Amino acid sequence: MFINLRKLDKWIIQAVLAIVAVVWLYPLVQSVIKSLGINGFGNYLAVINHPKVNYFLVVFNSFFIAVCTTLAVGLLATLAAYAFSKMQFKMKNVLFYSLVACLAIPATAVMSPLFFTAKTLGIMNSYSGVILPLVAFNAPFMLLILKNYFDSIPNAILEAGMIDGCTSFRMYRTIMIPLGIPAIINIAVLTFIYSWNDYIIPLLLIRDEEMYTVTLATQFFTGTTNQTPEMVAQLYAALILMTIPSIIVYMFGQNAMKSGLTAGAVKS
Amino acid sequence: MNGNRSVLSGWRAYLYILPILIVSGLFLYYCIGFTVYTSFHSWNGIDSEMKYIGFDNYIKLFDDKSYHIALRNNLVFFIFTVGIQAALGLMLAILLRAKLRGHSIFRSVYFIPTIMAPIIIAAIFRIIMDTNFGSLNEGLRALGLDFLAVSWLGDPKYALMSIIIVNIFEWMGFSMTLYYSALLAIPDEIYESAKIDGSGFWRTLFKITVPLVGGTTSTLVILGIVGSLKTFDIVSLLTGGGPGRSTEFLTTYVYKKAIEEFNGGMSAAAGVTILIIALILAVLQIQYTNRQQRDL
Repeated sequence: MFINLRKLDKWIIQAVLAIVAVVWLYPLVQSVIKSLGINGFGNYLAVINHPKVNYFLVVFNSFFIAVCTTLAVGLLATLAAYAFSKMQFKMKNVLFYSLVACLAIPATAVMSPLFFTAKTLGIMNSYSGVILPLVAFNAPFMLLILKNYFDSIPNAILEAGMIDGCTSFRMYRTIMIPLGIPAIINIAVLTFIYSWNDYIIPLLLIRDEEMYTVTLATQFFTGTTNQTPEMVAQLYAALILMTIPSIIVYMFGQNAMKSGLTAGAVKS
Repeated sequence: MNGNRSVLSGWRAYLYILPILIVSGLFLYYCIGFTVYTSFHSWNGIDSEMKYIGFDNYIKLFDDKSYHIALRNNLVFFIFTVGIQAALGLMLAILLRAKLRGHSIFRSVYFIPTIMAPIIIAAIFRIIMDTNFGSLNEGLRALGLDFLAVSWLGDPKYALMSIIIVNIFEWMGFSMTLYYSALLAIPDEIYESAKIDGSGFWRTLFKITVPLVGGTTSTLVILGIVGSLKTFDIVSLLTGGGPGRSTEFLTTYVYKKAIEEFNGGMSAAAGVTILIIALILAVLQIQYTNRQQRDL
């Protein structure tokens, strides 16, 4: 919207952006400063050497769960989107709409049966116990995004593949996946963020401290009544430590995230 | 929808959708069915013993004042968070679009909270917003604005607003990122000719920019409704639904009824009302994406 800006305009724009940036950085910067209070880096060591919460294991758990959920959603949703977009079969619309109809359901709405299902299947306190529900609750929305995108891939390409004698699975691998990359990155980024940040599913289905995710471990530190200044400083150190993995993932995946969020789903 | 006919057919198609159907069957359809079933029963949420009581849970639910509060809070939360996140996000995206020095650093700074877990953001703000020791009130007092140093999370008048502020902090960068990409797609020539026609800033904003990013706005509204329906972690850590029940949300209501009050039946009935809202939202979303596709 800005063309041929005068120098003063540029200054004003920079100033507004900087002021907002200061507000947005303040909570993080303050947390870093307070986390170094009283014992300095000792607060960080205290969190890392915590007798009940194993920091590296917690980060690994969250990472493993988020990666597996993302891969599983990617696989299940691309397979289904391919069928719904490019194949003809009975009950197609009924099946598609009954899957996509679940896209806005929060896990909290069905929390009791979720707990009993996990118990019956014997997957409480396990990776699959968190991953499977995360896949189920994330897949419908991702299916809608992917199916939409796959619809825009011309059928003529697949027809050419059929004439060459390709099997349907080979066309999935060599045509749909490569051509669908923008939408696949989009759903991968969203699924990763959603599953890394999820709180209610681990809260319901995990009891062992060894299985804690980042979100549950955070709740462990905030849950104790933190009255002494030492404990507040330690809480801050824990919050910073729990944030660092997100920032590292963001730094590595920055471009994928920025472009991925907008491709596929958002056609404006 | 689109005029393309499908290229493949046959029973193999079902193999492609079988995996997603199995996972959804176990964790979505079964859980939905179970929730609907228990909503017509008296159940403590633990034992296998259930007693059929018809619509009693729903009658009690609609008489419950804290359920009304939860419905209202969800609505207020949705309107304010989506509205402010979109307006602020669009404004910053426009300023960033000028591509002045440092704009990519600013973009990253605004986006950071989006990748942090809401529970961590809530934990940080719970200390910042503390009435006596929080740096928010310390800052206000230092500026001589003592009358503004209220009990942000402990006063029913302000608690919901504080939750809304924290949510805006978390998600504004997300709106900004989507708007920024949408703005990149608008050619400069449009703005140049608007300028030649003598169109001022606000006129250009409302007559050109806002209509051209309409697709992004609709996406944000839909994601915002879905998000507000799911909101649980920020509320449970910041206020736990309190003080009293002033910041109860539908999700915290369901959680409390089951876990704290052992009223599995009423919890399920409230869950069913969430399911109905979620279904309406899904229909709107599907219609919207279909329309969007037709327009292309």
